[in-house]
Amino acid sequence: MKKNYVAYSVMVILFLLGAFMPVILKSYQMNMLTEIIIFTLYAVSYNLLLGYAGLLSFGHAMFFGLGAFVTAIAINHIPGISLINAVLFGLAATIVAGFIIGCLLLRHKGSYFALLTLAFNSLFFVVATKWSSVTGGDDGLSITRPDLNLGFTSISMTNANHFYYVALIVVGIALVFCWYFTQTAMGKSVVLMRENEERMKFLGYNTNASRLILFTFTGALAGLAGCLYALHFQFVSLSAISVDMTTAVLIMAFVGGTGTYWGPILGVFVYILLQNFLSDITDRWAFFMGLIFIFMVIFIPGGLSQVIMNLYQRFFGKKTDDNTEVEETT
Amino acid sequence: MLEVKNIHSYYGKSHVLQGTSLDLKEGELVCLLGRNGVGKSTTLKSIMGVVNPNQGSICFNNQEIVGMKPFQIARLGIGYVPEDRRIFRSLTVHENLLMGIKGGKQKNAGTDDWTVDRVYKLFPNLKERKNSKGAYLSGGEQQMLTVVRTLLGNPRVILVDEPTEGLAPLIVKDVLDMLDTVRKSGVTILMVEQNFKAAIKVADRFYIMSKGKIVFEGNTEQLLAAEDIRRTYLEV
Repeated sequence: MKKNYVAYSVMVILFLLGAFMPVILKSYQMNMLTEIIIFTLYAVSYNLLLGYAGLLSFGHAMFFGLGAFVTAIAINHIPGISLINAVLFGLAATIVAGFIIGCLLLRHKGSYFALLTLAFNSLFFVVATKWSSVTGGDDGLSITRPDLNLGFTSISMTNANHFYYVALIVVGIALVFCWYFTQTAMGKSVVLMRENEERMKFLGYNTNASRLILFTFTGALAGLAGCLYALHFQFVSLSAISVDMTTAVLIMAFVGGTGTYWGPILGVFVYILLQNFLSDITDRWAFFMGLIFIFMVIFIPGGLSQVIMNLYQRFFGKKTDDNTEVEETT
Repeated sequence: MLEVKNIHSYYGKSHVLQGTSLDLKEGELVCLLGRNGVGKSTTLKSIMGVVNPNQGSICFNNQEIVGMKPFQIARLGIGYVPEDRRIFRSLTVHENLLMGIKGGKQKNAGTDDWTVDRVYKLFPNLKERKNSKGAYLSGGEQQMLTVVRTLLGNPRVILVDEPTEGLAPLIVKDVLDMLDTVRKSGVTILMVEQNFKAAIKVADRFYIMSKGKIVFEGNTEQLLAAEDIRRTYLEV
C-alpha cells in the first residue's frame, strides 16, 4: 500500500515537472522531450512483456509501426478526421493485430516465441515495404497533425507545445494504468506465471488467457506510442516498423534495467540523450553507442536501475522492495 | 466422488498406467502406495489433466474430466499438491496464500469455505511466518504452505504427491497431523506415499500399485494383515 502511494506520488511529481518544461526548455529540447515521453510508453509496454512476463519479443515494433502507419493513413485518407479518432484507429488496429497474433503465439515460449515474433515483424515490414500505394514504401508518409477537437473547444496542434501536453497527458495516464495493472491480481499472476506456470494452472489460473491478454495489452500500448510518434514527427517511415525499432526498445529496457517498473523509463532518457549527445560530436555515434551498450550488458546486466538500487542499499542499508528480488530468488 | 476406471497413460511410447482403477468416497483419506516408478505420480497427473490418458475414464461428481485442461479441473474442485512443492519463492507466506484464492480476492466466503483467517487459526505456525518469503521456509513449512494454499481454492478433493519426502521424522509427523486436520474438516484426500509406516497413522484406505496397475485395495487392518503383499510390493 505504501509502495503504491509512493509510486503514484512520484508519477504526479514527474507529471507536474513535465508540465513546466515548455517554460524552461527551448523548442529543440522540447522536441527531444516529447520523443522521450513517447518512447517511455513504448519501453514500459515492452518491459511488461520482457521484465514481468519473461517473454523476449523481437516483434514489438510491428505494433509500434502498425499504430503509426494506421494513424497516418487515417489522417491522409479521411478528410477532417479529428486527432482523437485518428489515434483510436491506430489503437484499434493494434488491438486486433495483437489479439490475432497473440492467439497464434500463446502456446510458445522462450526461443520459439522470440523467433516467431521476429518472423511476424519481418512479415509486417515486408507488407509495409511492398504495399507502397498505401504506406508510401521507402518514401514513407507525411501527415499534418489534425486539431484536437474536445467537443466544447478545439485546440490547434500546429503549436508543438500543445502536442507536447497531449503526449504528456496520454502517456501519463497510460503509465499510471500500467502501474495499476502490475499491482492487480492479473498483473501479479503474470510475474508468477514466469516463476512457475504449472503451479498457476494447478491453482486454477488460465495461463494461456492471461498471456493473451498481456500480449494484446502491451501491443496496444506500443501501438498507442506509435500513434503519438506519427503525430509528433508528422511523418512515418519504414524504420517505425523495422526490427531496428524493436532492438532500440530492447536496448532502452536493458540499459534502464528490466527488473523494475521504472528502469526502462530511465533507459529511454539515457538512450535518447546519449544518442543526441554523441551524434552532435561524431558521425560515428552508432559505433560508440554500441560499445557503451556492450559494456553495460556485460558489466551491469541489471541496468542502471540496479546500480541505483545498490547505491540506495549501500547508503541507506535498506533493501528496496521491487521486482528485482523476483529475479534473485528464482 | 472421484472414480478412476481402467486408465491407460503413456509417456511417449512408455506404457505407464496399464488399466489403473481406484475410487474415493467423500471425506476419506486414501493412500496410494508403491515403489518408485510404478505410476503413482502419473495417476495423480492423469487425474489432474497434466497427462492425458489414452483409454479409460475419470469421473468427478459424475462428470467426465478426461480431456479437460488442468486449470479447468482445478476450478471443478480438485486441488493438486505436486511432489516438488512449488511455492512462489519471491512471495511472502501471506501472499502465497492469497494466490491460492482465485484472482487473489475471496468473495462471498461462506461459513464452510476456507479463508486466510481460518487457515491461520488452524495452522498457527504459518501465521507466525506470514511475512517471511517463501524462499526462506524450511521443507516442512513449504509443504504445509502448499497444502494450505491449495485449500484456499476451496477444493472438494486434494491430490497430494509424497508430502513427507525428504522431511525429518519430527516434521513428517507435523505434516501428517496437518493432513489429518484437513481431512477432518471434510476435504477428501488422495495421497501418494512410499513411506507406508507413516501413512498408516492417518489413512483410511490404501491402494498398492505395481507396474501401472492396482494390486491391492484395503483398509489399515487388511494392509497390516497382508504381509506377503507388503513384502512383495513395498519393502525394498
